[in-house]
This record gives sequence, C-alpha cells and structure tokens, in this order.
Amino acid sequence: MSMLASFFTNIRWQDILDILVVSYFLFRLYVLFRGTHVFRVIVGIGFLWIFQRIAGYMGLIVTTWAMQGVIAFAAIIIIIVFRNEIRNVLQVKNVGAILWGVSHKMVETPVQIITGSVYEMAKRRIGALLVFPGKDVLEDIVQGGVPWKGVLSKEMVLSVFWPDNPVHDGAAIIQGDQIVEVGAILPLSRKSDLPSSYGTRHRAALGLAEKTDALIILVSEESGKVVGMKGDQVREINNNIELEKILLANTGTSGDYKGLRKRDKLNLVLAAMAIVLFVAGTWFSFSRGLETLATLEVPIEYMNRDPNMELIASSLNSVNLDLSGGGTLLKSIQPEQVKVRVDLSKAVVGLNSYTITSENITLPPGIALRRVDPPVLDVTLDIPIVKALPLQVDWVGNLDEDLILEAVELKPDRIKVVGGSKILEKISTMYTEKVALDNLKISGTMLVKVALTPASLKVSGDSKDRLSISYVIRKRVPAGD
Amino acid sequence: MLKRWLLVFTILWVGSFVPAELMAQENANRVTAKVESELSLGVVVMCEGIKDYAPVNRAIVFSLEIGKVYCFSSFDHVPQETVIYHNWYRNDRLITTKRLALQRPQWSTFSSIQLREADKGPWRLVIKDKTKKVLRIVKFSITE
Repeated sequence: MSMLASFFTNIRWQDILDILVVSYFLFRLYVLFRGTHVFRVIVGIGFLWIFQRIAGYMGLIVTTWAMQGVIAFAAIIIIIVFRNEIRNVLQVKNVGAILWGVSHKMVETPVQIITGSVYEMAKRRIGALLVFPGKDVLEDIVQGGVPWKGVLSKEMVLSVFWPDNPVHDGAAIIQGDQIVEVGAILPLSRKSDLPSSYGTRHRAALGLAEKTDALIILVSEESGKVVGMKGDQVREINNNIELEKILLANTGTSGDYKGLRKRDKLNLVLAAMAIVLFVAGTWFSFSRGLETLATLEVPIEYMNRDPNMELIASSLNSVNLDLSGGGTLLKSIQPEQVKVRVDLSKAVVGLNSYTITSENITLPPGIALRRVDPPVLDVTLDIPIVKALPLQVDWVGNLDEDLILEAVELKPDRIKVVGGSKILEKISTMYTEKVALDNLKISGTMLVKVALTPASLKVSGDSKDRLSISYVIRKRVPAGD
Repeated sequence: MLKRWLLVFTILWVGSFVPAELMAQENANRVTAKVESELSLGVVVMCEGIKDYAPVNRAIVFSLEIGKVYCFSSFDHVPQETVIYHNWYRNDRLITTKRLALQRPQWSTFSSIQLREADKGPWRLVIKDKTKKVLRIVKFSITE
C-alpha cells in the first residue's frame, strides 16, 4: 500500500506522458489490426515478452536469452509473412485514420448481405448452397473447392451462383466477411428416407450437415425455397428475418446492431483500459520494480551570497550523493535534475560551516537520498579590498658554479592586488612566477608574470601583471668566514 | 696699478665664495645634529661569507650547496650602544630572529642561517631597531 502511495506521490509528469504515449501507440495498433492475423501474432509476441521478463526476474538466463531470440525472430516473421495485411491496414487508411480514426469493424458475418443475397436468389430461382463452418474443420470433407477469398457482397454471391458460372453447382464457403471457397463439392447424404422433392443440392447439404457442425443454407432452383440445415435439423426458412436470426444464432451474436456497436465501443474502452494498465504496470516494473543504489558526484551551487562578499575558499567543490530508486530512473537522471544548493544569505565574513541535508538537495521524483559524503561544507567568505604589495622574484634552479646573481631590479616593484581582506591581511609580498636560473649566463632583462596565490586574488585593473626584471650576473670569488 | 687691480679682483672673487661656504657649513651642522641622534644604517648585503669584516660574494640568490647565508649590515653612525634585529622570513613566514648588539660610533655586524632542503624559496630579511622600527628590507632567494 505504501508502495502504491509512493507511486502516486513520486510520479512525474514525464512518467504520465510516457505511459500515455506508449498506451496510445499500442491502442492504435489494436484498433488498426484487431481481427487480423497480425494482431493475434502481436498478442502472442506480447505474451512471449512478458514471459521473457518473468524469466529475467527469476534469473533464468538461457530462457531469457531464448525468448529474446524468439521475439526478435517473430518480429521479423510478422513483417515478412504478414506484409500484405500490414500494407492493407496502413495503405488503405489515410493518416488521420491511422492516428486517431476508429472504424467499427463488422467482425461477425455480414448477415444482412447474406440474407439479401439469399432471398434475391430465391426470387430469381437461382440455386445456391452456402456453407458457414462451425468449429469442425471442413478440409477433409469438402473437396474440389476453388479458393476465392473475396470480400462478401450481394453482387459477388449472385455472380458465384449465376447459372452460367462454372462453379455455380458447388457450394460457397463463407467465413466472416469473406467467401473463402466456391464450387466446393459436399459429401452426399446416404439417407434413403428423403423427400422426393430433394435433389442433389439438398442431399449434398444434408450430407455436410450430418458430418459437421456447419450451417448450410440452401436455395432451391426449382421451388425457390430457402432451407437451413445443421446437424440433423432441416428447416425451411420462410423470410429474411428468420434467416437473419438463424445466421446470427450460428455466429453466436444477436441481430441488434446498435447493441453490437455499443459492444464494439465497450470493447474498445476495455481494450484501452487494459492497455493503459499493462503499460503502467510495465513502466512500474521498469522504473520501480527493483530498487537500485547509485552514487552521483554533484557540484555545489551557492545562492543568495551578499554581493559585497566574495567566496574565497570552500572545503568542497562537489559532494557525492548516494541515491536509491528504480534502475531505469537512476539511469535516466540528467545532470541538471540533481542540484546541491547552499544558501549563503546568513553567511558572515570568515569561515562558515554548513551541514548538507536533503533540504539542500533537489532530486527528480522517485529518487531518494541515502547519504551525503562528505556532509559538512566549510565556506570562507570575505570582503574584497585592494592592497598594494611589494614584489619579489621567485628564483628556481641554479646558475653555473662560477656565477653569482648579484642584483635584481623589478619594474614595477609594487603591484595592486584585489582579494579578500582576510587573505590580503596575511600577505605582505607578492611573488613572480618561478624564474629559472639555469640558462642565465650574463646580465640582462626579462618579462615575467605575477603568481596569484591563492587563486582568488586578482591584479587590480590599474596594475600590470607583466613585470620587467633586470638582473646583474658576475663571476664568483672564493667565499670564507 | 695692474697689481692693485689684481689684488682687488682676487679679494672680490674670494669674498664671493665666503657666504656660500658659510651657508653649507650651517646646513651640514643642522643635518649632523639630527643624524647624530639617530642610528644610521649604511650598507646591507646578503652574501656567501664574511672575510676580514667584509662581505664575500654579495648575491641575491644562494644555492643550498653553500650551506650558509649571511646578512652583513654596516651602521655609519651609532649614537649609543643599542641592539638591532635581523628577522629572517621565508615567503611571509618568520623563520628566525637574530638580536645583534651595536657599539658606537660605527659598527658592522652580521647574522646567518644554516640552509636546509626545506629552505628553498623566496626570502626576505627585515632589519629593525630596538623599537621594532623597520630600517631596511632585503630580498633574496634560496634555490636547489
């Protein structure tokens, strides 16, 4: 419960957007591909992925590896095998339809088309045999059919059974909104007690009904009567309403199209909710599922410093923050999201000590602070002043043994330095940068810079930071007391 | 006649110098009176050694190899027996203070330090009188 509360209190707007974007993407995939083979395969891959995650959490290395391979392979297979289906979905629709359009697909058999076609054929005395497969497989029973796979329409049904059509004597197998096969030869019933009015078409219809759970609708060429057969039931259908009911009963749906549309909408809403829950769960498992520890080195920022004071020294430039949170969240932390700020509004001239606590630290939501190392910060503030100081050359190295550096003259011999009063108070001489003696053989002049130590010191604007050194070198005489 | 004129000219010529000499003498007396009451520091040098009461190898940079550095200071006028101080600073840190006695009327004295590895860097020597008034500052360096 506390985890759930923490989830809602720590969630960022980026996380909500993250979940919504992915959810909407998956929802669009669902809307575009529902009812297609691609969708079923995608769902299958989804389950495989969940399985792979579970295997990963359980530490099943080989299983995880195998699942990854299968998923990658399946993704490629989808694109290759179902390329036409994918192309149909993406090409037929315009961009708007792909991004936000919702087509309420007729996923059931288009009953009205069939009903209209059947009674049109009955009216014209066109013999017809329509097969609506149930759960039984018809491939072994039905023979000689011509694959059609045409979208169901009244005109197509009429043309299939048109007397001059070579396949008009066979049966048309209808699945969903497609005429799958035409000219199919059905097994004839061997019953001997059939009415004399039954011809070959009736016998064939009865033969299939006896062997499978398919619904067969027959239009008699002689009488124009419509007969429905399923199992051992044979029923004359007198009007289109009755036929509609039979067809709907066979597909397991009612004839209420408004209800169907409502159900379709409800399905979409449920799918959307399921997707959001799935994505949120996935996000949660990624971001919060396993707590991870990480250490970040974060520079210290100073706020509200008195403009008359200068920060002369600090014991730390950065601190190490031990953080905990979801591994993904920790990995996604940007440097600008973590701040360590010290308020200098109450600082005084001299040394100020601060203990860095969570109040000084800004962290992104979902990340918790475990430790600050080191926790104490010493900051020295001072009021900058200008001080004129004598200069001295900082010689290094050695002259040749027989030489002596007898005198030196610096121009200028004083320099104005800007720095903290506490620091300058302790400084009575400024030194040049180190000047090497090793190469000096005779008297001469050179230019050198001032060594500003500590680094907070600056040369005042009206002083030069380059100095001229004139030095005198002469031969040594033996020394003694 | 000529001799008389030459005599007059000579008297006038010599006479024209008399007031200037008298004035110079007067000034000198005043300065001397002031100086006589004060300690007067003359030469101050850093050197590698002292020989015959004089500095040897005056320099401003000394190698550790020479082992010792001397500061020789000569006072032109010492009105009374007194002491002075040689304060040795490395960077801005006072390393040692040497107290040296002075005898009237003139006196030269020196102090020295033994050089160690840690002594490398810029140095200065500050000479102060017994009232701690700074009389002179000398800068030098110790190198490897």
